[in-house]
Amino acid sequence: MHQYRRKLLQALGSAVPLAIAAGAGLLRAGNALAAAWNKTGFEAKVAADALKSLGVTGAQPSKEIILAAPDIAENGAQVPVTITSKIPNTQSISIIVDKNPFPLNSIYEFTNGADSYVSIKLKMGQTSNVIAVVNADGRFFAASKEVKVTIGGCGG
Amino acid sequence: MADPMKIRARMEGDAADVKVLMSHPMETGQRKNEKGELVPVHFIQSVIATHNGKTVLDVQWSQAVARNPFLGFRVKGAKAGDKVTVSWTDTKGDKGSIDTTVAAA
Amino acid sequence: MTGIARGPGLITAALAAAFIVITAGAAVGAQQTSARAATPLELKMPASARPWNRYKVDSQGSTWPQTDWHNFNNLATADVSPAPQAAPAFALPIQGDAERGRALAYDRSRGGSCVVCHIMGKTTPAQPGNVGPDLSTIGATRDDQFLFNYVYDPRLYNAGSIMPPWGAYQVYRLDEVRDIVAFLKTLKEPYAITDKSENPNTRAAPVESRDNLDPTENPAIFGLDLGKEVFRRVGANGKSCAACHATPESAFKTWTAHMPRYEPRLKRVLGVEEFITRHARATTGDELLMQSNDNLGLSIYLHNLANGAPINPDLASAGARAAVKNGQALMKRKIGQLNMACVDCHTREHHAGKWVRGQYLVESKGTIAHFPTWRTSRGDIWDIRKRFQWCNVSVRADELPPDAREYGDIELALAALNKGEKINSPGIRH
Repeated sequence: MHQYRRKLLQALGSAVPLAIAAGAGLLRAGNALAAAWNKTGFEAKVAADALKSLGVTGAQPSKEIILAAPDIAENGAQVPVTITSKIPNTQSISIIVDKNPFPLNSIYEFTNGADSYVSIKLKMGQTSNVIAVVNADGRFFAASKEVKVTIGGCGG
Repeated sequence: MADPMKIRARMEGDAADVKVLMSHPMETGQRKNEKGELVPVHFIQSVIATHNGKTVLDVQWSQAVARNPFLGFRVKGAKAGDKVTVSWTDTKGDKGSIDTTVAAA
Repeated sequence: MTGIARGPGLITAALAAAFIVITAGAAVGAQQTSARAATPLELKMPASARPWNRYKVDSQGSTWPQTDWHNFNNLATADVSPAPQAAPAFALPIQGDAERGRALAYDRSRGGSCVVCHIMGKTTPAQPGNVGPDLSTIGATRDDQFLFNYVYDPRLYNAGSIMPPWGAYQVYRLDEVRDIVAFLKTLKEPYAITDKSENPNTRAAPVESRDNLDPTENPAIFGLDLGKEVFRRVGANGKSCAACHATPESAFKTWTAHMPRYEPRLKRVLGVEEFITRHARATTGDELLMQSNDNLGLSIYLHNLANGAPINPDLASAGARAAVKNGQALMKRKIGQLNMACVDCHTREHHAGKWVRGQYLVESKGTIAHFPTWRTSRGDIWDIRKRFQWCNVSVRADELPPDAREYGDIELALAALNKGEKINSPGIRH
């Protein structure tokens, strides 16, 4: 689908810089209000280090976090995950996929009336636990679900 | 010209339910192309959603978010006719943005 | 009009000549036939890339195996695969390394592996399949010679077996077959898989519940947008599709439901994607090669315009009936190093409804109306011909170019089987 990306670039009139700014850890370009990209967390290779980078010292398991994901994902390229936190004053939801090469998947911060709810599609390398970590008023809560990734029988 | 993002915002109860699809390769840096060369890392790192101009959602993504990434979120207290904008920035500094008006339930 | 015209000027001149020939010969027979005979089509050049080279890798990085399988049957060649042959004799009991045999039985990179189809005792890895019987006690019930012969070439016991001739077709070496036998001999205890989703006999069949027409769900809707653009785009001849087809919403409300169709001028079946290539060359001058993004987009647009229309191919002509008959025969042909026929996996009479590892096998009825479709595992839009190509490569048979006549025959046979199913494109699938 490179075709669509070219069209976007034409629309924006921008030349594509060759240098990759991945992991620059700087305030993200063009939005001084955006949180800095959590380079340490996203480069952590084990879930424990990812959690540390989020400032999590101990997350309480909570049934107030509803983590919806398939029991069996038909493939690991896009696994639909929907998380609702009913914990009052939820400030953020972070998602960890513990068997992925880089377990910290994404971070969502809510303000100005956003519901503590997010729905996305993740990449999963293999059967793994998907963990939702909620930060509410500086206290951490978590819910986890094992998602099986289908092993194909017919060439993938 | 094809619009590279799709957005739908509709009232559900007292919240606006918003769904966005962004067209982006979300390269992990592990994929090999036809010639067997590794395709460099290239993914959306940051997504900001606003409601009537105020930031409601601040997102940090890694390369492990699916290609052509989808994002669903809800805004409490929104009304039909309100404006919702979703903007992204990727690891190359490229940007995309789309806005829509919240439809009635 | 000889050779393959390359520059736009040559193509235009050649096509203009073809156009005149076609329209001059048009006015014969019934109304419907003469309307079709008048449809301008380029008839000389291939409609897909030549030489045809197998895909290497899809947009998300999933690869296509690059092996050449010309030593085995494919849909165009029926007489090269080796016939069933007696297994070589070894001294009994068969000597082999059971540990190596177990590793081979579970190693998907070597050919699908045994566990794709069989539960194999307490060491069975995740998500075994059930196309074949549970082998957990086979070591207690079958002797060495039987085990060796069966793995070597199952056709010695079951002529129509879906199981590949692992030894005879050299997927495994003879010493590896002996190792597998040694492993099978260790399987003497029944093994109950209590986890309902792990046990293929109790696993729930997947249900497709996505809204394929939701533009925030299905990236193929970007393809639909592209198709609409292509329809309005002015080609080399100074015209767009829209110039002659001003109201596609009404004109094409059922058009793709009657495709593919037998085309007498080509003496074979023409599908939507190939029609697009040949008709555009003869009219707008746009080169819309099969399986290009533009072709796929336009195919989605044309199918989408007919959403809800029941599939109803024209089977009246002798050519159409012969094509369906040949398509049905082709679907029964054993092809590839894995020696499988389409019907083996995709009919209820055979193994549809069972599991190959963690993947469910569907029957061909009810599974074509959503093409072209987004494939979430590949990150691309696939037309039905690419689906055929992938299936061929998956059983280790050489695929054909997308415009192969054999694929046309199969597509028409599938349309006949799917008569009444409602077009619903673009689809979204694994």
